[in-house]
Formats: sequence, structure tokens, C-alpha cells
Amino acid sequence: MTTWKETLKDEMPAELAQEIDTFETQIGLKKQGKIDDKLFAETRLRRGAYGQRYDNGQRHDGVETRELHYPTAATKGPDTLWDAPGMMRIKIPFGGMNAEQMDVMADLAEEYSDAICHVTTRQDIQLHYIHIDDTPDLQRRLAAVGITTREACGNGVRNVTACPISGVCNDESFDVTPYSKAMAFFLLGHPDTQDFGRKFKVAFSGCKGKACGLTNIHDLGFIARKKMVDGEEKRGFEMYVGGGLGAVPYEAKPFDEFVPETEILPLAQAISRVFARLGEKRNRGRARIKFLIDKIGIDEFRRLVLAEREILPHDERWTGYLDDVRAWEETPVKEPAELTTGVSDAQFETWRATNIYRQKQKGYTTVTVALPLGDLTSWQMRQLADIARKYCGDNVRLTVEQNIVLRWVAEADLPAVYRELEHVGLAQPGAGTIFDVVSCPGTDTCKLGISSSRGLAGELHERLATRYQQFDSAIQGLRIKISGCFNSCGQHHLADLGFYGVSRKVGGRTVPHFRVVLGGQWENNGGSYGLTVGAVPSKRVPDFVDRITEKYLAEREGEQESFQAFIQRFGKRELKKVLDEFSAVPPYEMDPSYYSDWRDPREYSITDIGVGECAGEVVSRIDFDLQNAERLYFEAQLQHEEGNYQKADETAFQAMVVAAGGLVRLENQDVPDEADKVVPEFRKRFYDTGLFHDKYAGGKFAEYLFNRYEDTNREYTADKVRLLLEETQLFIEAAHACNTRLIEQASAERKAKLDKD
Amino acid sequence: MITDLHRIGIKFLTARGDDIPLTDFIPIFHAWIQEGKLEDVMIDVAEYSHVPAGPGTMLIAHEGNYAIDETGNRRGFVYYSKQEVSGDNLADRLAVVCRKNLAACKLLEAEDTFKDRLAFDFGRIEIFFNDRLNGPNSDETWQAFEPVLKSFMARLYPNTDFEARYETGDPRERFSVSVSLQDDAASAEDLLARL
Repeated sequence: MTTWKETLKDEMPAELAQEIDTFETQIGLKKQGKIDDKLFAETRLRRGAYGQRYDNGQRHDGVETRELHYPTAATKGPDTLWDAPGMMRIKIPFGGMNAEQMDVMADLAEEYSDAICHVTTRQDIQLHYIHIDDTPDLQRRLAAVGITTREACGNGVRNVTACPISGVCNDESFDVTPYSKAMAFFLLGHPDTQDFGRKFKVAFSGCKGKACGLTNIHDLGFIARKKMVDGEEKRGFEMYVGGGLGAVPYEAKPFDEFVPETEILPLAQAISRVFARLGEKRNRGRARIKFLIDKIGIDEFRRLVLAEREILPHDERWTGYLDDVRAWEETPVKEPAELTTGVSDAQFETWRATNIYRQKQKGYTTVTVALPLGDLTSWQMRQLADIARKYCGDNVRLTVEQNIVLRWVAEADLPAVYRELEHVGLAQPGAGTIFDVVSCPGTDTCKLGISSSRGLAGELHERLATRYQQFDSAIQGLRIKISGCFNSCGQHHLADLGFYGVSRKVGGRTVPHFRVVLGGQWENNGGSYGLTVGAVPSKRVPDFVDRITEKYLAEREGEQESFQAFIQRFGKRELKKVLDEFSAVPPYEMDPSYYSDWRDPREYSITDIGVGECAGEVVSRIDFDLQNAERLYFEAQLQHEEGNYQKADETAFQAMVVAAGGLVRLENQDVPDEADKVVPEFRKRFYDTGLFHDKYAGGKFAEYLFNRYEDTNREYTADKVRLLLEETQLFIEAAHACNTRLIEQASAERKAKLDKD
Repeated sequence: MITDLHRIGIKFLTARGDDIPLTDFIPIFHAWIQEGKLEDVMIDVAEYSHVPAGPGTMLIAHEGNYAIDETGNRRGFVYYSKQEVSGDNLADRLAVVCRKNLAACKLLEAEDTFKDRLAFDFGRIEIFFNDRLNGPNSDETWQAFEPVLKSFMARLYPNTDFEARYETGDPRERFSVSVSLQDDAASAEDLLARL
């Protein structure tokens, strides 16, 4: 039988191929019950395989909660059924895609998902309704075109985002693209980013004044700056930390007004270490870095980071990437050409007015392909790939407004590009306007969703699109962003009109509502957050949008008053009055439509809300190391069965080294998984101290490792290797036991300290 | 190898009902889940009416996806499998997929909401493979599949001539064959009896 693994073996980078093989083995081990649920959940999350609504096997069908009778009762995480479909998040660093990658994305959506590619608010692509067993092949096909899903979810560094017009922008200091790329791959899988209590998001902006990379809402944000140093212009970044949305939004705090380009990677590494060491691990709601910074203060945080920076072991990559930065360039497929002749097509002109950005490179434009709700079909993705090949080459980016931009399109080609986009249903005008509504998945697929953000977004999109031309330009330019819950994946805090899902009890029934957040600032990198006012029933939100926009138009103080300024002037008290016009919910008997959500006729219920996986599972690095050791041991067994004794022997030894290395790194995190480094450290820290000793067997299990390490004259016979396999198993068990003892000891010490205090 | 194919899809084009809003199918599919109308493990409804020529309104099941689908700007009812399908050979598996689709079409035609407004033409069929590894869009696949199709059609429409049209077109697209009957099509019920 042909397999993707075999078919693509020469096309995948070896490291990615190995990682995916490892994941596939872990899936196999989980099926055999050899990996704990929590550990496997975090493992798959770190491979981008996320849970979806109803994956606990229960669904409210409008009348009652019923069981979904999947074929097996197996699980892939706590309360997460194996057969329940999940979401695959595919991280696209800085949103950059090429045509070949777009083709593959289209194929994957068609074959494993539902033929829809969904662009997220963090420049990822998400595919839904995917079976976990399909994920290794899906990842292989991505790897073959240079995409990894590693750390797309879970408690790690998420997709590194960047301004989608960086490099072609008229306002930027310089192109941040190669920096964001370097950061993404430096932090990817970095040992210092494996022990976070929560996710960590990084963004790059080319300028300060536009929305650009939204650095203000990120854990770590970089804004490009140039500075004269000794008469020479130097590149660097204004660096921010501790921003974030969610239920408790924080604006990022300035860390340094100018970090030289040579320092951004080591500082990010130092921050990772501080976050891993001091960040909250138990209380998930307080585990983001923003809470740590809030707790200890930005000055103390900065001091800790700089101290950590001083002791970091040198890494060539810190500055090695600068060669790539200097060499970075994008190649257009067409010569620059301005559009000199008039185009007598009103629809084209409408589209051109909102979807075109004139690049700083004369004769070139960036075209925004506005995607309704961030969705496009597999067929559209392929056609768009062809349009890109023809007009702009591999210069395609995803945007945080769930759109796609084609960069380096010759201005003279715009009429042709428009016609071709129109032909494939992708010439929707109004990019970045009131009907280009942004929405997270909400109750459609998200386990945390409270209200149907996509249902509301779809409704608003439809209604506003038909009336767009009649709106005053002040209204046309407003932004609407919707989240299904308070976690803010739809970035509602930054919108003129933001909404997030909540519920209310009315007459004993539950009614979907949206809380209204007004006057957020999109510009200035998401410069300030909106004012949260009351909640309106879901079904009244479109009417509320009409009312508040009419009011703004009628009562603003001159044409210069922005919506944001109007909201601030108008004040909460007056806003409440407007809101009250829409807040009443008629009794169910009078109008049952209020009691179901947009585009979901089931009587509304919040019983489907599950435990989200945004937070991942708190699994420390030692757990992953021990899991890795188990996997290697398993592989060694297979190699032994296949008669490959030398390989089995080496793999088994490696398993012991990995387990020992995990323990060693509890005390010294800079030790790599090399036997010559791990074994002496292990001997010193765990054997000589007696920490590893078993109550009855003493240091016997550790000696298995030492004996194999010191045996330079191995014989690779079936019996000898079988013996080593048995020793390996005992060693790994002893490592688990040692880890447990250490955890219990630490816990007892904490308790004693608390008692004493 | 097409013998390894399990990700198989069948679409029956509409005879009438192209003007029914896609959102009108949402409550129907929810009700089907509520009432357990189909044999698959039905999970949820996904709605893509905002995407032109897209998968329309879908009923997501564990075994595969059902949808009132507009791919290629041709409305029809589609079912495609996403898991292993029972059957010793491809023709048998095709029959299983077809049977599931027909069962859904029969239900849909009988819905009061669509009375006299919606009908499928069971003589206009599209068969496709969502598997570029085992069933790439190529002449070789077509050559291997043609006898399977004949065997399947002989079961679905015995003693009836049909025309099968395969065009590679864009080789990146999934393998797809259009089948049309020379004679009048049978009803979903009759076809189900033959499978």
C-alpha cells in the first residue's frame, strides 16, 4: 500500500519528517494505553491538533444533551474522545505563503476537512473536523512544502505574526519580515520555550502608528526603529512585553525603546526563561506573562530578564540570521507599471477604493482579497494560487483581519486581477470596512464558545454589504469584530464595534447575548481597548449596530470626530440608554426566536461549553522527556523484533540518556541530550547524591546507564540487546519514580513553608 | 491504487430547488441529528452560505460529510466518506456511499418544508475521490476506475445505458467523473432497493 510517508520521504526536511514520525509513534502508544491522557493532550496540541466542540461525546440538540456514539471509547485527552473530530491549526509565520503551499492547503482541506480553509486572526490557517489518525499524513504533506504545525497550540510560542504589508509599506522603518521569520524559527522547539504555563505570542510591526502587527496585544512585541549610533544608522526595535486580550486585557508595557537587531533573539530567549521559571503554572487564568509582569512590576521583570541575558550560553544563531536579513528580498513576477488609463467599471472602482494599497515601490500595489468570515474553499484557494503565480509570485500573506493579500501586483494589472478574482468569487470589496466583519469560530466549533459569533458575523456581513454604498464614509470605515466568548479570539477589544458572547437567563430559559465593547483602537498597533458597556440579545445586535452608527453620524462633533472620540465623549451613561432600547427579551411564548442563536435553530443552551484547550495542559519538560524516552524504548523494541540489533541497542541507550537528561535539566537546563554531557552530569547530580536511588535496589538502575555508556566494545546479539532493553525499561521506570519523589518532596517543602508562615 | 480508496464521494444534482436558500437546510439537518435520521454518527451542522460555489450547508458525521453542496456552481446533494468504508472492493464501497447519500436525499425530498420545491435528478451523478495518493486526477485512475464504475452502474441501473465523462482538467483538482443516464432516472427509493 502506498503511503504519504514513503511518497514524500525525499521532499520533507529530515527534521520535520522525524518529528512527525515521532508523533505518529506517540499516537500508536496512546492507542495502546501507554501514554497518559493529559500528556498526550499536550503532545497533540503542540503538534497543532486541537479539540473541537462536542469532543467529550455530548451535544445538546435543542431538547436535551445526548450522547454521540462514536465507534470507540478511546480518548485523546481528558474527556476528549479519540473519534471526535478536531481542528488542525497550521501556523504560518508572518502569514507568508507561496502558491505551492496554497495548493497543498486546498488539497488538505478537501481530503481531511470540509473543503474550507479558514484564516484566523493570528495569520494561521485552521482546518476543522479532522480525525486525529489523519494528522500525521496531513503534517507530512505540509512538511513537504516547508510548513510545520509544531507548537501551533498548547503552552508554547504560537505563530509569530507580522504586518502583512511589511516591506511594501509607505510608513515603515524597515521590513520586519525576515526578523519575524528568524524569531519564529529560533523559538520553535527551543528548549527554553518548552516549560511555559501558558501560550506566548510574538508580533512584529514595521511602524508605530498603524494597526500593523498589533504589538500592543502581544506577550512580546517589536516595532521597527532606526537609530543613529556613532554616525551610523542602526536597525533595532522598540520592544514591548505583557500585552494580551482575553477576559482581563492588558496593554503591553515598554521594555526598551531600542533593542539592537543583534539582541532581539537572546532577549526573547531570556524572557522565555524568566517566564518558564516564574510564570504561574497552577492557576490557568493567571498564567500568561502579563500577570507575571503585573505582579512583579515591569522594572523587576526587566532586571530579571537582563540578568538572565547575561548568563545565557552563547548561541551563533543570535546574529547568524542577520545574513538572511541582508539577503532578504521579494521577487515580483511583473515589471512595475502604473494604471494610466481609466476603467469605466463602477464595481471595479468600488473594489479598488477599499482593497488596494499603493506600495512604496512605484508601480506596484498590494491587493486585499477580502474573505467573508475568513473562509475560502479549496477550489478558490487553488485559483488564488494561480492568480498569485500569474501576477505576484510567491508574495502572498494572510492578515489578522482574516483576509489574504497579494503583494507586488503591478498597478496596471489591477483590472485583470479584479476580473480573475471576480471569476472565482473573491472580488468582494470593502476590505477593512464595516462589513468586513472579523469573527472567531465561536459556538460553531469552539469548545469555549458561548454565542454564535460566526452566525452573527454572517448576518451582519450580509445586511451591511447590501447597504454599504448608502453609508456615509464615516460609517463605511468602522470595524466590527466579534468573539464567541470573553477570550477575545475575535479581537473585539480593538474594534469600533466589538461584541463578545455571553448568556442571560430570562424566565427560566437561557438567551444568547453579546456584550458590547465600543470605541477600541485598531490603529497604533491596537493602541487602546474599547469601553465595555452592557449586553444585548444576539438577535438585536444588528439593530443596535444600525442605531449606534446612526447616532454617531447624527451627533458627532464635526466630521473630524472619530467614532472612538465620540464614544468617549458620549460616555457610558448615554450609551447605556441606547443599549437599553435593545435589551428587553420578550417571553418565549411571544417570540421564541430570541431563544435560539443566529443560524442555529436549536433552543439555546450553554451546556455544550467544554473545557477549552487554549490553555493546554500543564506538562513540564521532564514529562515530555520521559515520554520521549518511552517512545525510543518502544522503537528499540521494534528494531529488536526486526533483527536490527545494533540499532535497537543504540536506540535503547539513547532512551536512557533522554530520561537521564530530563532529570538533569531539572537542575541544569543547558545540558543537551548528548551522552557525553548527560551521563557525567547525571552521575554527579543524581547518583552521587543518592537522589536516583531506589529504596530497595539502591543505585542499581543508574548503573545500567553507566555500564552501557562505558561499554566501548559492544556485541550486538539478540540476547545482549534484549537484556539492555529490559534494563532500559527499568531505568526509565526509575526515572519516573525519581521525578515523582522530587515532586512530592517539593510539594512537602511548600506545605511546610506555608504551615510555618 | 484505487483498490485502496475509501475517501469516496457521490453527488446527485438537483432537478429543482436551486433557489432555496442554503440557510433553509440548517433546521432540517439539526432536526435529523435530533431524531437520529441517518445511520452515521451525526455530529453537527456547518454553514457556508457566505462562500460562493462552496460546500453549502453541511451535516458533519463521523463517517463522512453530507451537504447540500454548490461546488462547481452545481447544486446537489453530496455525501463523501472520511473513514474506512465497509466492502470488499471499490464497487461495494461505492455502493455503501451511494446508499447513504440516497437515504439522505429521500429524507430531504420528503421534508414538508421543501414539498414540491426540491427534487434530485438521480440520473445526473458525480463521483469523486478525496484521495490524491490512491486516486489522483489522471487518465490512469480513470482507466482503472472505468470497469468499477460499469459494475457499480450495472447494479444501480441494470440494463440502462449511461454516459460517463472524465476530463482531467486541472490536474490539481480531485478525480471526478460525471455520469448521466440515457433514460429517465429512478427514484431514491427504487435505487435504494437495488443497493
